[in-house]
Amino acid sequence: MILGRVIGQVWAARRDARLQRAKLLVIKPHAIYEPAFATRHLVATDDVDAGVGDDVIVCLGAPARASAGGNDMPVDAAVLGVVDRIELSPDAMLVPGAGPGIKRALTLPAAAGAK
Amino acid sequence: MIRGTVVGQVWATRKARGLDGQTLLLVAACDAEGRATGRLVVASDTLDARAGEDVTVAFGSGARNVLRPGPENRDVLCDAAIAAIVEGAG
Repeated sequence: MILGRVIGQVWAARRDARLQRAKLLVIKPHAIYEPAFATRHLVATDDVDAGVGDDVIVCLGAPARASAGGNDMPVDAAVLGVVDRIELSPDAMLVPGAGPGIKRALTLPAAAGAK
Repeated sequence: MIRGTVVGQVWATRKARGLDGQTLLLVAACDAEGRATGRLVVASDTLDARAGEDVTVAFGSGARNVLRPGPENRDVLCDAAIAAIVEGAG
């Protein structure tokens, strides 16, 4: 699973019949996310009614299909949860080489995680 | 699987029912030499890994097999899970 922030929603009138009721969110992953195709975003179905600006947990692959309604669903990413809180270990930030990358990665969720 | 270091934990109240009871840890992925790469993975934890510990993370069906082994586990809502806590590496 990855952490990301909801930055938008897509609407489609003409879509696969099995996706008729799916809400499709555009997610900007926190940290580095490099799928085979070089984009910096994901489109994911949403079961938990997340809104723009929420930090979310996105699941990829078969579990995303299971969550969206079954293994035959034309889906490979699903929002499974809306993040309330993120706790980062200060010790872990001291791992050699980890600090700058992790801090950069969590610049965005730190604000949402602090509430 | 990949190696990584546990750096934190994530909590979500509003979530899919299949996530109930899963402990979700933030793991910083390492490169081949064990240095952090800046990639973060949210992995399900059944081994009580603590922050700062080095772990291996399994993806895909390997991750589902950590939570519920067997061929009929495609409904398990997990795509990354901590498979082992690393004590040493050569």
